[in-house]
Amino acid sequence: MALIFIRTAIIFFVLLLVMRLMGKSQIGEMQPFEFVISLVIAELACIPMADTSIPLFYGIIAIVTIFILHQIVWLLELWFKPVKKVVSGKPSVVINKDGIDEFQLKKNNLDVSDLIESMRVAGYFNLDDVYYGLYEANGSFSALEKEEHAASSLPLTLIDRGKADEQNCTRCGFNTDRLKQFLSEQNAKLKEVVVMTVNGEGRVYFQKRGEKYKILQVEVNGQW
Amino acid sequence: MVKSIAYTLTAIALCIGLFIFTELYLHNQFNEFHDALNALYTKIEDETATRSDALAVKAIWDDKKEKLHILIPHNDISYIDYWLNEACGLLAYNNYELALGKIEVLKEITKNLPDAYSLKLENIF
Repeated sequence: MALIFIRTAIIFFVLLLVMRLMGKSQIGEMQPFEFVISLVIAELACIPMADTSIPLFYGIIAIVTIFILHQIVWLLELWFKPVKKVVSGKPSVVINKDGIDEFQLKKNNLDVSDLIESMRVAGYFNLDDVYYGLYEANGSFSALEKEEHAASSLPLTLIDRGKADEQNCTRCGFNTDRLKQFLSEQNAKLKEVVVMTVNGEGRVYFQKRGEKYKILQVEVNGQW
Repeated sequence: MVKSIAYTLTAIALCIGLFIFTELYLHNQFNEFHDALNALYTKIEDETATRSDALAVKAIWDDKKEKLHILIPHNDISYIDYWLNEACGLLAYNNYELALGKIEVLKEITKNLPDAYSLKLENIF
């Protein structure tokens, strides 16, 4: 019985570590340790239930172990703030006044398209609609919005972390030569671009790696 | 908060109590069964063992296994059933040589089985 307890505890902490390493992209509205519990507890309950050769006690002990570990983690988080940072993580500011923080995105195993998607879910269709955007410890997205933002047309992502989206480029009239010319005007190489989006009115959000974002105006064919 | 801590401590205390009980109970039950097997083994060596001796050991085991089913996987129990029934069958025909081998296996299983559930590093991983 003590074996089951220790083995469950080991699995719990290994899963917790893996979830923390996976970053916020794998968690949805739950603290990492809550997510781990929800992953483990269903299996723990099911295996002794379905396999009659295993005593039901084994499942009960494992579930009680999870309860004890949950309580211990919860109490530690409550009493010692550094433990909360280690176990649950801390919010990551992915958009600041300079634009997208690529380091924070990478740290949480997210890319620009994930960020754009999160922003759309939160009701922001342009990257410059917010002063700050952050992923909370539980993986949800929060933003401090700018006073004025109006999305009259949907922005398309032309460059996402150094890679051009050919379909979107074609749709808004940015052929290869035009994109090259635009990049040379901005004194940037394709690989150096964190993100470039353009909306139907030709409003461009452009950010070069290590620099503040720029809002530019270009002519587009307005087909979307 | 106090309630939560109380529940947690109660759960920990119950678990520790159960772990100690299980450890002692398993060793105790298997030691008793091992002693019965030893007695049978000696009789088989002397070629004085009968089927009723084997059935007496089986009765001891049947009594113990009802409770052991709660604590250890049923497959391990069925191994002992298998070897013990074979030994009973062999003793019915006074086949001491083969019966001795079966009891030898049973002695080894009953000696090692409680250790397989003990809190040891090799069992954890």
